[in-house]
Amino acid sequence: MTTQNTHLHIDGVSKNFGDVKALSDIDLKIERGSFVCLLGPSGCGKTTLLRIIAGFETASRGRLMLDGSDIAQIPPHKRGFGMVFQSLALFPHMSVARNIAYGLKLRGVSGKEQRNRVEELLNVIQLPSIADRPVSALSGGQRQRVAIARALAIQPKLFLLDEPLSALDAKLRDNMQIELRQLQQKFGVTTILVTHDQHEAMMLADELVVLKDGAVRQAAAPSVVYQQPADSFVADFLGAANLIDAGAYKSGEIELLGTSSKFATHHPEGTRLQAAVRAEHIQLLPVSAAGHAPVGTVAFMRDLGPATELIVDVGRERLRVRCPNTECQGLEIGTQVAVVLDPAHMSVFNAA
Amino acid sequence: MRVGLLPTEGGGTYRFAVIALAIVGILISSLPVIVVTIMSFSAADNTGFPPEALSLRWYWDVIALFTNEDASSAQSVVDSTLTSLLVAVIVMAISTFVCIPLAYALARGDRRIRAGMELLFTLPLVFPLVILGISFLLIAESLRVDIGIWRIIIPHVALVLPFVLRNCLGAMSGISVEIEEAAVSLGASPLRAIWDVVIPLMKAGILAGLIFALIISFNEFTITFFMYTIDVSTLPIWMYSRTVSSLDPSTLALSVFIIIADVVLIVLVDKLIAGRASLF
Repeated sequence: MTTQNTHLHIDGVSKNFGDVKALSDIDLKIERGSFVCLLGPSGCGKTTLLRIIAGFETASRGRLMLDGSDIAQIPPHKRGFGMVFQSLALFPHMSVARNIAYGLKLRGVSGKEQRNRVEELLNVIQLPSIADRPVSALSGGQRQRVAIARALAIQPKLFLLDEPLSALDAKLRDNMQIELRQLQQKFGVTTILVTHDQHEAMMLADELVVLKDGAVRQAAAPSVVYQQPADSFVADFLGAANLIDAGAYKSGEIELLGTSSKFATHHPEGTRLQAAVRAEHIQLLPVSAAGHAPVGTVAFMRDLGPATELIVDVGRERLRVRCPNTECQGLEIGTQVAVVLDPAHMSVFNAA
Repeated sequence: MRVGLLPTEGGGTYRFAVIALAIVGILISSLPVIVVTIMSFSAADNTGFPPEALSLRWYWDVIALFTNEDASSAQSVVDSTLTSLLVAVIVMAISTFVCIPLAYALARGDRRIRAGMELLFTLPLVFPLVILGISFLLIAESLRVDIGIWRIIIPHVALVLPFVLRNCLGAMSGISVEIEEAAVSLGASPLRAIWDVVIPLMKAGILAGLIFALIISFNEFTITFFMYTIDVSTLPIWMYSRTVSSLDPSTLALSVFIIIADVVLIVLVDKLIAGRASLF
């Protein structure tokens, strides 16, 4: 079944720690040269999966096929995967250059070639003059880059990153995300990054794998996961979505917020449903202009600069709405507004 | 400005307490050293304190003791010194070879096992030394063979292990598993990772433990007093035998040499683990 472009096939991998099921039946195909983000809340098994790929944990069941051959029996030091750890794990007793050259030294690369390669990598990470510094003299962002350079120095078959940016402050993290993405494209290396930060995952990934409780909830391109979440968990985890109780009404319509709404649904009449709508896909109109649209009351507003965020109470439901500043002039707390949901940007699931 | 938890009005409570306690502490701990050092410069044959006149005669005596060996003396100071040094070196070697792998295993292994093992290795510290001496003597005498210098080395290892192990464990606790895994991910076999990453990072702790081992073994008296024989004896035993009948000021001069060596070693320990975990 392995296609030409599949680099790593995670084939039915499960992992139990005693009675605890950490991963159940993970099935993923990772394309050559792609950037895959494993995204999920803490305890979802994403780090365990990465450690199984790296060889630091063994799967209880299933196979890991790299270029069509099973690597389960290959010990981690022979896999040739570059890894960046959450703590970065730079060697504090070595200079920057020796850190980066360590993997090359183990491969018997000559001293001269090691120096050339270190110089080349330091140029790539834009820190050409720090080769002889001790690791302890580096700033957080510099350490980050050195850890990445050290992993890339061995020309890894797979590039694995375990929440490497979580220790950086927000602004530095933003810059590093862009740099990391550019480095990955420059080297063309198949990359798997673990994160719990949905923004980071959206920013970096070609393919987003959302995990929860040791199972894959959705694996697709970030825009697909964002626009068409597979279930209410995914919808809620990726950006603030409103989850609204709904019911299948008649063919082609669902009932929500006390009115019926056109939505092509295949659910049989009477099924309890949940509709997910993002804050930016809800439109607020004056009550007079909206016909049969549900009416709610503004309960909270705050100006975020480019947009205003509002909370609108409609019956029992509390909706989070984000509208451009030009469109919500004249609204204040207590104002009655009509709420218009755009069916094109709405996802409907069976109620949990 | 930070506010002290105790009242600091009227000249600073803390400063007074710190100075007073420091003086008491320093006096108590350094008084013997001061007395011994002053008396070693005495010109008199007796050991009256303070000495009436000063000289270096006892230092010349010590040097003479080492250079002009008295063949008739049952226990030579040179032999005792060499035995002491040999015992200390072997004790250092054994305790290192035991403690590095043990500390690694305990730090990486089950936490409950670690607590139990630490307790086990600390036992010789809480045992009265006399009892420990008697029991090692009973064991040595029950053996059919003469184990020579090992009758002193083995009890010394037991005494020294807790200190070396404590230091190695302290050094291990700062080394995360991730740093080993990083080396492995770059291509190092698990043993190579320990050699390249763990041991160099443990170095300060290992050296500190070694210097403890050296000082404790070289100065050990109580247990050795039970274990020594005419053939195998150490410097502290020799010094004791010189002073047991009448105090010979040349042993005081000798102890000044030993104190200087000890101080140098302790300063070395302090330098090695400055900024790391505390000594004990």
